[in-house]
Amino acid sequence: MLKNLLKKKLIGAFALTTITALSLGVTAPVSQAAGTTVRLYISADTNIQDLWVKTLIPAFTKDFPQYDVDVTFDRNGANDAQTLAKITAAVATKRDPGMDLIDGGISTTLGGAGLLFPLSYTSLIPNLKNVPKVLIANGKGAIPYRASTVLMAYNSKNVKNPPKTLNEVLTWIKANPGKFTYNAPSGGGSGASFVVTVLDSQLTAAETLKLQTVADKETQAKWAKGWEILRSLNKYTYGQNGTYPTNNAGTLDLLSKGLVDLAPVWSDQIASALKAGTMPKDIKVYSITNPSLTGGPAFLSIPATAKNRSAARALVNWVLTPAAQSLIVAGNMNGLPVIPVSKLDTEVAANISSIDITTLRPGYYSTNGNDMKAAWANEVPGKL
Amino acid sequence: MTLFKEVTAVESLAVKKTARLSLLGFFMAMPPVLVIISFIGAPILLALAFSLGFITGPNRIVALIGQEIYPKTSWWGTLDAFKSVINDSRFPGDLKTTLTVTIVSTTLVIIMALGMAIYQRIIGGRIASILVALSLVPLFVPVVISAFALRTFYDGTGFLKTVFYHIGLNFPTLTMTSNAVVIGVIWTSLPFAILMISSGMQSVPDALIESAQDAGAGFLRIVATIMIPLAFVPIVIATTFTAIGIMGSFTIPYFLGANQPTMLGVEISNFFGPYNRPQHSVVMAFIIFSAAAGIAILYIWANIRSAHQSGRI
Repeated sequence: MLKNLLKKKLIGAFALTTITALSLGVTAPVSQAAGTTVRLYISADTNIQDLWVKTLIPAFTKDFPQYDVDVTFDRNGANDAQTLAKITAAVATKRDPGMDLIDGGISTTLGGAGLLFPLSYTSLIPNLKNVPKVLIANGKGAIPYRASTVLMAYNSKNVKNPPKTLNEVLTWIKANPGKFTYNAPSGGGSGASFVVTVLDSQLTAAETLKLQTVADKETQAKWAKGWEILRSLNKYTYGQNGTYPTNNAGTLDLLSKGLVDLAPVWSDQIASALKAGTMPKDIKVYSITNPSLTGGPAFLSIPATAKNRSAARALVNWVLTPAAQSLIVAGNMNGLPVIPVSKLDTEVAANISSIDITTLRPGYYSTNGNDMKAAWANEVPGKL
Repeated sequence: MTLFKEVTAVESLAVKKTARLSLLGFFMAMPPVLVIISFIGAPILLALAFSLGFITGPNRIVALIGQEIYPKTSWWGTLDAFKSVINDSRFPGDLKTTLTVTIVSTTLVIIMALGMAIYQRIIGGRIASILVALSLVPLFVPVVISAFALRTFYDGTGFLKTVFYHIGLNFPTLTMTSNAVVIGVIWTSLPFAILMISSGMQSVPDALIESAQDAGAGFLRIVATIMIPLAFVPIVIATTFTAIGIMGSFTIPYFLGANQPTMLGVEISNFFGPYNRPQHSVVMAFIIFSAAAGIAILYIWANIRSAHQSGRI
């Protein structure tokens, strides 16, 4: 009895501090324009921050001056676990989580946990009608708004015939010691994609599908062969001592300095770097096959109890318009659209007409992905 | 008689004044104590409970979201999470790296700081002052900046590698190794150790050094039998603080160290974030905490020793 009382008090105190902290954080903007400020939480790399802050938000507020957008940025989702906890706690206690729209990998996790505003009311976001049904289904309540994929980048000065399939890539790595690298999966998606692709190459299609859709420890045990292959690369990757760059930027850095000749990179990051001139023009990208590297849509999400969710829906609906999708493709982001290419500006569409986003090979379900990152650190680096 | 009365009156006044002062002192000390109890003490207790498998109440949400959570199996909890961490094949390597880096760097830092302090005390002069002032520069450079600078300096296209390449030698790439971590933590820890030890050396009386010289003692003899023993407490304090700081470092090993094995500070962050295993990271934090507490005992012992020597207890 006493124990329960104490417990309740503790929870009360805990909730009180949280609420105080939250209200301290949001009082100012809300009091100015109640309900029309979209509190956007970005849990991604800096190119996504730039996409919102420099391209999308200015265009949105120009079209809809009655709204404004307040951005919180969490680089590479370093605080995803806490953010998830915050939203879960807020939705469970029917309180405002302090954010109205989330852009990041946690969107689908939130969707899977049933914490998002249900998408059954598509009438509230009419532009969803242009988005392929399969992408919406994958989101489980999260809203696909752009796509990107991991490509293989090579230095055309040193490599005349880049390896076309995964097996050729593995042979190439061993034939060219020190000239290939990928970043640690825990630090960025491009390295994670390479690891997942090698692991998948040793699994059946059914097993891969399971890992993409549900938490599954049994199938994870079949990663053993893939780890064997990745371990065998330790002597041949950059540094030749079983160390790997910490994040996506680390891979791009080695590629731009000419220290490696082949590496998996995000389609959008490499395109932006090439455009900005921070990547030499000799670096070219292509897709490998059998299996291909992973890719897929990025999702936005609106927590069920977000206070300004109608404003968030207005922003989402705008992001899905052909005009906004063209900005995602053409701007510095160089992303892929989630609406049919035919709806985009013809000039913009010409560059990407060959890519079908509904057929991109998806990565793992988030808990399997976390397990993959943990297992990689256990199985691969430093094991010579 | 009157004199006696006066004395007692003054004494009782003094007693009252001390009592009032100590009460005031107590209240002045309250805010930091309260802050520590509510914002650090309580979370530590919650974390300890979480590591033992208490996953209800305030720990409910983190347990709901984390993976591989071990709930308690008896009234006092369970050690399953501790077992899981200790049996993790990464853990021995991480612990070894953490301890090796801590011991090696602390030893090097203290040797360097001693050298600097002794040089300044015995030889002194303008150059010594300039050197000490220069050695404090790292205090004013944010660790992230210096970690990044060190990385660009030692990496595959770094300065050293380039210079050696031009004279036809292959200098090893130091980044992504524990060597680079040692270099980095020495950079960040040196200023404090130098400040602490050189101030300790400054308080060694000239008379003692001079009389030893007159009696024919050599340089090493003076250092070993007069200066180091007299500055012993500041040296122990510098050692403990340096070791505890290095043991818990994150930025330097994150930027300069290998992916695996890495220092526990980085591993805790990996387990908490990317691997989503909050219970494991809490367990590791407690393991580091107990190691740091072991070092802190040394610090307390040194303080008690100095109190004994000066007759305070």
